Amino acid sequence: MMTSSESVTSVVNIGELVTASQQCKNGKGWVIYPYPDAPSVKLVSAIQFTYDELVGAYNQTRVDYIVPMPMNTARLQEYVRTYDVDLELSGVARENGHVLGLAMLGVRPGHTWVTRLGVLPVKRRRGTGQLLMECLIEQSRNLGVGYVTLDVIKHNDPALKLFLKLGFRDVRELLIVRRPPGPPTLNVGPYTVHPFDCHEAIELLHQRRSVPSWLDERESLVNAGNLAALRVELPTGAWGWLVYQETPFQLARLVLQAETGDPHRVGLALIHALHTLHPALDTKSENLPLDSPYWPTLQELGYIESFRRIEMRLDFA
Amino acid sequence: MKTILLIEDNVDNAKIAMRSLKPHSYRLLHAPDGESGLVMAMEERPDLILLDLGLPDVEGQTLAALIRGSAEIGRVPLVAVTAWPPETAAQMARAYGCDGYISKPISPRQFPAQIAAYFAEGNDDDVE
Repeated sequence: MMTSSESVTSVVNIGELVTASQQCKNGKGWVIYPYPDAPSVKLVSAIQFTYDELVGAYNQTRVDYIVPMPMNTARLQEYVRTYDVDLELSGVARENGHVLGLAMLGVRPGHTWVTRLGVLPVKRRRGTGQLLMECLIEQSRNLGVGYVTLDVIKHNDPALKLFLKLGFRDVRELLIVRRPPGPPTLNVGPYTVHPFDCHEAIELLHQRRSVPSWLDERESLVNAGNLAALRVELPTGAWGWLVYQETPFQLARLVLQAETGDPHRVGLALIHALHTLHPALDTKSENLPLDSPYWPTLQELGYIESFRRIEMRLDFA
Repeated sequence: MKTILLIEDNVDNAKIAMRSLKPHSYRLLHAPDGESGLVMAMEERPDLILLDLGLPDVEGQTLAALIRGSAEIGRVPLVAVTAWPPETAAQMARAYGCDGYISKPISPRQFPAQIAAYFAEGNDDDVE
């Protein structure tokens, strides 16, 4: 029988196990016993756990992270709703009743998203992360989607190595950027600005040309709510729009697009208008592509890099 | 007696910090999240706020901005406590109006001296 100190380097027949997984006794979710010779280890559907339990487990998996991103129950509930996380398909690894780690799966038409993957620091290097990942990949395959995506914090090399081993490839580098409150100090020249409401903001998102990550896909923004938008026009006739989320203490989820003219000039006017309108609010925007033409624009108006993620993708042939 | 408010969600980290400061004649307050930290800061008017940048309910930077924007507590010395790499920590602390930052994990031996430096007259240097 395998002991808890033994290293597990490969999981056998996870696909078959997921397909043949047993229903939990209460009919909600599933349970898998991945190691026939170690029945104390099992994967259980996250739907079997309360949000408080999931938060407790998640926070424990992150205590030693440089960017721990802890959550409380309300925040996790909001996260699950905003990002279409399917707790039924998400998994928690347990051994003798104790949580080893967890991973969640967001599900949208055509693709899925692995998130919140983590293993308790003292339980790492035993294959639990791989087990959870293989389980979610198999869940995705069974859904018939075209691909699975995920974002990993840059320099989290063990996780990166695992994802590469499982067949994921690098797609691009993403920035998490912030700007402290304060009106813009840069003179960007004249422009006219027209604010739009939430419904108009959602309509604008239909016109987006940039490729979003899961966090800023249209579904995420609509689910997050509190959207607003601005349209600016320069004296040259160049114009563009900006969709953003406004909450009581923060602006977030910025999507910029210049429709005509120089994107940098239009971008400057858009961001200037945003912070002239909301000078007292902190701003955070996640997953701006490193090669976005608007990153230099944002920097000119006081944005700083917080950290980076690597977007990765596994295509099902 | 100076009052120090520690806003830190991780129980173990909070214990280490509080234990290392206990022999040093401070009045120590602890808030486990941003909301209770802000309320406690407004009610208790501490002489120093130690702010973990990774909180479960509101981000530390946003809380720093709220504190700095407050007429009541906006001038209280504010120190970020973070596991960010030093360069990022310094940039973030400076941008959000913190008086400095202390890197995690804290050293129980050095922590009291790091804190005392913020009570020294005329101190305006980053402390790590």
